[in-house]
Amino acid sequence: MSEQALGRVVATERRPNTPHQFHFWTAVTSPVGIGTIVRVDGEHPVDGQLPKIYGAVIEGFSYSDLVSPMHDVLGHDGEPSSAGFAPTERTEIRLYTAAVLRMIPEEPLQPVPMGSVFLADENDVAVALRMDGYLREGARTGIPIGIYHAGGTDAPIYLDADFLVGPEAAHLNITGVSGLATKTSAVEWLLSSLFTHFPEKKGTIAAVAFNVKGPDLCYLDQPGKLEPADEIMYEKLGVPAKPFTNVRYFAAYDAGGYNLNTLRSNEALLHNVQPLTWGLREVLQYAEVLLNKDDVDAKADAVIDFIRDKIAGREFRDERLPKRVYNVGSFAELDEWFRDVLSMLEESNSESYRTHHVATIRKVRNRLTNIALRCAGLVTAEGTVSDLPFGSFEDRGVYVVDVALLEEDAQDLIFTRIVSKLREHLERRNLGVDHVVVFVDELNKYAATEGPETYVRKMLLDIAERGRYLGLVLFGAQQFRSQVHRRVVGNSGTSLFGRMDADELAAPGYAVLSQAIKTKLSTLEKGQLMVRHPHFTQPVFIRFPRPAVMQGRDGAELFPQAAEVALDAAVTRSLRVLDPTISLEWVKQQIALREDEEVIHARNATVLARPRDVKAFFASRLRPLAPVRAETPRQRPAPIKLPAGDDPYGF
Amino acid sequence: MALLQPGPDAASRAALRYIQRLLPGVDAVEAGQLSDPAFPRMDPPQLVAAPMLGGGAMRATRVSGEPEARFAAFLDGTQSVRIVARHGGVPIVLGIVAAGVRERVDRRLVTWTGCAPRVERRLYLPFAYAPALAGESDSAFTVVDTTDASMGELPSRHPTALLESAIKSVRRDRERVESVLAEAWCAARAEPICIDGGIAASARVAASGVAVGVVKTHNTIHADGADLDVVLGLARGERTPPLRIQSGGRAPVSSWYLRLRDNKGHDATWGLVRIEACDTIASDADVDRISGWVLAEAAPLALPDARWDKMSYGVRNSEEFLRAIA
Repeated sequence: MSEQALGRVVATERRPNTPHQFHFWTAVTSPVGIGTIVRVDGEHPVDGQLPKIYGAVIEGFSYSDLVSPMHDVLGHDGEPSSAGFAPTERTEIRLYTAAVLRMIPEEPLQPVPMGSVFLADENDVAVALRMDGYLREGARTGIPIGIYHAGGTDAPIYLDADFLVGPEAAHLNITGVSGLATKTSAVEWLLSSLFTHFPEKKGTIAAVAFNVKGPDLCYLDQPGKLEPADEIMYEKLGVPAKPFTNVRYFAAYDAGGYNLNTLRSNEALLHNVQPLTWGLREVLQYAEVLLNKDDVDAKADAVIDFIRDKIAGREFRDERLPKRVYNVGSFAELDEWFRDVLSMLEESNSESYRTHHVATIRKVRNRLTNIALRCAGLVTAEGTVSDLPFGSFEDRGVYVVDVALLEEDAQDLIFTRIVSKLREHLERRNLGVDHVVVFVDELNKYAATEGPETYVRKMLLDIAERGRYLGLVLFGAQQFRSQVHRRVVGNSGTSLFGRMDADELAAPGYAVLSQAIKTKLSTLEKGQLMVRHPHFTQPVFIRFPRPAVMQGRDGAELFPQAAEVALDAAVTRSLRVLDPTISLEWVKQQIALREDEEVIHARNATVLARPRDVKAFFASRLRPLAPVRAETPRQRPAPIKLPAGDDPYGF
Repeated sequence: MALLQPGPDAASRAALRYIQRLLPGVDAVEAGQLSDPAFPRMDPPQLVAAPMLGGGAMRATRVSGEPEARFAAFLDGTQSVRIVARHGGVPIVLGIVAAGVRERVDRRLVTWTGCAPRVERRLYLPFAYAPALAGESDSAFTVVDTTDASMGELPSRHPTALLESAIKSVRRDRERVESVLAEAWCAARAEPICIDGGIAASARVAASGVAVGVVKTHNTIHADGADLDVVLGLARGERTPPLRIQSGGRAPVSSWYLRLRDNKGHDATWGLVRIEACDTIASDADVDRISGWVLAEAAPLALPDARWDKMSYGVRNSEEFLRAIA
């Protein structure tokens, strides 16, 4: 059956066609809409070749042969209900404007010629979006992002891995109103697709996702509910509809130091949840993140440098100090050192210690020791370190860092340190994988256009600008793209747009979009996206399937957050993951009469070491108690002789 | 309808090239030659009484029953006349005639596929006064001699008389192509068709039970004296009894006047049409039935056409269609 034309190209002197835009009309019943991809078959050969032009509809017009609305009012005596009785409908035109996606031949670049317009089929879509260049057998770098649907056409849309993960371009930014779960769902789906289709020749890939709010990313290893339509899409796009198989969660403790500060604290899910705790050395490397710039002047900076270089993590000798030899490995030990230094200065009536003024030392002490309080749960006083497995990242592994319930300071520290460590390891090529996708939601907050310069923003800018050379890729999401730093969104090779707020669409950054595209964006359904990608000269609308992982809300209902418990129960819960035979009674027995800090220290050491004999290891980390001597019965004192009768002097 | 479209459009330029090939040095005529809006005047206004089909007297009768949209199609023809050049005082006229049937399908008008629309472009020349122009027709243009004996009396050499003679020839050609389409419909279909203008030009159409002509111009009114008052005094939705009309060697038809819209505040013929049908239509029931069909086409309005008071939307649609293709 020959292909049926959908419309005809038209051009007038007032509304001419150009090399980048053309107009066509269709039947009133045609399935053309905003975003539809069409093909124009030229009728006159250019250089011996009949031109084919591919375009995406960006604007639509409809009008009748009426010159004035008044004519219609008169025709129906001002009574709208009588309009339905007219024996003939007025002639109506559907006129569309399409932006050129591609012309073949590409040279000479000419205005779009007159010709018939056809609905693009699957092959046309691939050519129009230049996907044919990266879907060739043997050089395939396509990553399915979703399905383009128009009329009877369902065409898979692919992103180019070279432009999504690097090195040509990189990064992805997704924006849309909150509450539709589109942004998180799209990233979850895209990660699945990326892990499935990432070309073998490009090496290995993993993802680090920061869960910044609610339970969004807390159940990536649990199966989600899919509709039949989703399963069809998974099949068409060649992605297995399964949750991630290799997911590890990291969460800091709460201020008490023994309950994990995450919504994924249900005992059934703790097998892959690991505490995130850092000690003095880890924090000192990024102390600037937590210190106010106004506080840390050059003098304070010098003291911090001195501590970092001479004190922390190494043996320090000073004959003037009471202990003479210090091995500072934790905040507690650092505080002891500070105390001794200040006492020595007081006693010697001196104002400086190794060129550092006493007031500066006091200020730095105050600020540094305060960190342990501000980031309690993340920063441990005793120095236990439980970190992401830098150096042994696994291919297709997902590492979720749950910072949703943490204070802002702790979040900043976590972002900065983890991203810096990822960059360091990728630079040295010893992370364990070749590429890492870092997913950060709420870029409005962390990489805002306005507001103070923060280390998190610096980190995000650094990834956006230099990450692609290292294999460090930022997948960022936010509600208001216009409020995210221009260099972050500008460096995103791929941009996804879910349903948008009208106010946001009024921002100057969206001026390149036609009013019709804006209208469509403001009414997109859940599961629909507009995609911009370096190969696509115009935005494309797609549908993507629900992610095959449990949604946050469902997970929170099915696996409710564990209640905060006392220390003994918390320790039991942590150790039982390593050894299911451990009981609360046993733990109670072990930690009776112990200080909380000692118990937490032993628990942290055990969890970190993951020893074969958990009970023995845990017990060994508790200081031995002084032997208890058996109480010898005291000699009963001689009874007081009481006077007889009521005479007090009657002895 | 006559569309006077002076100006060197593509068809005019092609005609001019053709003429200049025949007659090098012929003067091209700029646009605006036919600037008199009253030109060409086809017939002088006249009153011609016609006999009543069923006897009786002229009277106004309210159309009974609810208007019912029964027309399955609308037929219209157009003509355009352009003076593209002159040879001495002889105007060289390009005439374009077109006709088409628009069929109503699901309340939408589409081109009837039973007989394709006709478009003809011809040059109209008075060979008697410009023998040099009597060249051979070629594939681009057919040349029509407006002074051929079959056209009737030889017009004078007055340029306006020559132009009127050319326009009459164009009108004849338009009626011919309209008749071709009307006859094709009547032969192929059993549903009624609304024809813009009279139906008497073709005997087959005039005899057909499905053809209904709606005449909007009233240069000739078929009533006189008191009857004229009745015709011009018709109120909205009123009609006259059917008349028998036959003129100029044309086929006889049954015809009656019908007021489509209230003419209060307008001239006497505002909203007034004359309907032509097969001459067997004589009973009140049949006349009311057909009148109801015409009344049903009062909406949607044919605006912005100036004749919207009498014109149905289907006819306007046909005209727009022909304007696009001719």
